[in-house]
Amino acid sequence: MLNLMKQSLRRTTWIARITFLEAIRQRFFAFLILLSAALVVSSVSFRFLDFGHGELKFVADFGFGGIFFFGSILTLAMTAQLFFAEIENRTAMTLLAKPVSRWEFLVGKFIGVWAVLGIFIFTLTLILGLIMWGRHQELVALAEAAGRVPPDLSVSGVAAYALLQWLRLGVIAAMVLAVSSVARSFLFAIVVGAMAVLAGQLQWIAEEALLKEKQITTVYQSFLWLITRIVPNLQQFNIGDALALDVASVSNGAVWAASLSGCIYIIVLLILAGLGFRRREI
Amino acid sequence: MSDEIAISVQGLTKDFRVGLVGHKLRAVDNLSLEIPRGQVYGLLGPNGCGKSTTLKIILGLVPATAGKVSILGFGSATSEARRRAGFLPEAPYFHKFLTGRELVSYYARLSGVAEVDLKSAVEVALDATAMTEAGNRTIGTYSKGMLQRIGLAQAIVHQPELVILDEPTAGVDPVGAAAIGKMILAMRAQGKTVVLCSHLLGQVEQVCDRVAIMDKGRLVLEGRVDDILARRDRQVITASDLTDKAWAAAEAALLAHGAKDVSLTHPRRSLEELFRELVKGSRDA
Ligand SMILES: Nc1ncnc2c1ncn2[C@@H]1O[C@H](COP(=O)(O)OP(=O)(O)O)[C@@H](O)[C@H]1O
Ligand SMILES: [Mg+2]
Repeated sequence: MLNLMKQSLRRTTWIARITFLEAIRQRFFAFLILLSAALVVSSVSFRFLDFGHGELKFVADFGFGGIFFFGSILTLAMTAQLFFAEIENRTAMTLLAKPVSRWEFLVGKFIGVWAVLGIFIFTLTLILGLIMWGRHQELVALAEAAGRVPPDLSVSGVAAYALLQWLRLGVIAAMVLAVSSVARSFLFAIVVGAMAVLAGQLQWIAEEALLKEKQITTVYQSFLWLITRIVPNLQQFNIGDALALDVASVSNGAVWAASLSGCIYIIVLLILAGLGFRRREI
Repeated sequence: MSDEIAISVQGLTKDFRVGLVGHKLRAVDNLSLEIPRGQVYGLLGPNGCGKSTTLKIILGLVPATAGKVSILGFGSATSEARRRAGFLPEAPYFHKFLTGRELVSYYARLSGVAEVDLKSAVEVALDATAMTEAGNRTIGTYSKGMLQRIGLAQAIVHQPELVILDEPTAGVDPVGAAAIGKMILAMRAQGKTVVLCSHLLGQVEQVCDRVAIMDKGRLVLEGRVDDILARRDRQVITASDLTDKAWAAAEAALLAHGAKDVSLTHPRRSLEELFRELVKGSRDA
């Protein structure tokens, strides 16, 4: 039994490894990563504009926003592309004729993609963190000279942000895999995947409405409830600027809750992907 | 079920849904076959007659609409069955950025070859397919014949009992095709069962012990190649330096003993044989 699990783990990690290699050798993804890095670095130029006290906040919003936006696009495109490349080039046929289960195939793909996203997130957050940290040092010195209250910057908050964003991209990758597992074409997977991401970003609206509005009908209420159950809440991971600049405003509990729900979403979505993929014709 | 049967297919039917309204297309129609162990078995027929679909169902890549398949005593979708089988798909395509050797190692790992045996298993497979030298080049640079051979190497790297090849010589020149034919015979000599499908009848004739001929998803003929091809009601006499006088005497003798339809022709070699004699070895055959 233990041996069987070991074998399964070995196959899964090798599929992940090859997926990872394939991803980092694609020029389009390298281009996207460089572009977002350039964007983040360009936030340095804000120091020449006079934003006064709000400057760090502006840099954070801009940088986090860029990582959020490009990260989402990268995840959508890369996950669907790596999945459909295997199907359309028929490499999946050779692979699945081996003693590889469809679950191992999907989980291997997911881990490979998620590893690339990890590199993306941690590199960009590191760059952004360094820029913010450098500027923070200068701003603290300036504030002290002028006798003002220096701005806050939490390094561990930035690290927590990176972790949460990585989880968010993991949820998106699992969403795209779930769609791809039943989709006939790459384009369909991309479009439906993008709509799912959008729905995830807006899910909190339904959640709030459910909490606040008292005089709504039961039908409408159950509809909202259903939406909040089905659609993952992606907005809960976007607390970067709060974590970095005003860490006291975020409770530890909120970070843990978001992390936990991220992991659960990923597992559930991968199970859905596996169920969809199980009987697919290769 | 007998130990002598490698693959048994009973009443296999496959319908594909095609088009927006989901018309049914019957790709395989009530097919029953028993493929014996230790032989080279050819599944023949024109393009689109359902050969590839049958192989994919046998390997569990596509679910059947109806019918039963068992492979080496297991159901088709089990990983136990797939551990004992090797598969070369039609027009194989592999990750271009890997070298041949990396690719075969990758598939060896997926097939469960232990890390300690990996290196030797990969070298044996590359050697058997004459890919040892080309193994260090990336797959993107391979010719069609080399792609088929690296595909063959990944199919046999875990020493499977059963090797399933879908059009192993499609797009390969006759010299390369003959080399692949030799590899197939070498596998049979090791006691493996080989199932291959092809629409190139001439090549198949030389390697297969048994063939099944399909048309429009149905089985039309099945049997030993010798039985199917031999015309037991006719004989051929060949000779060289035959003079007109000698022939006249021989013909008279044959007729006197009651032979009918006596005729004199030159035996023909197949165009393929001639081609292979003339072109003894192109560079990457
Ligand atoms: N995935 C599929 N969807 C719809 N039709 C298919 C599919 N795969 C094969 N077919 C059809 O099934 C028939 C048999 O195909 P195939 O088994 O590939 O034939 P062969 O290998 O003998 O050339 C063909 O008419 C083909 O168009
Ligand atoms: Mg075919």
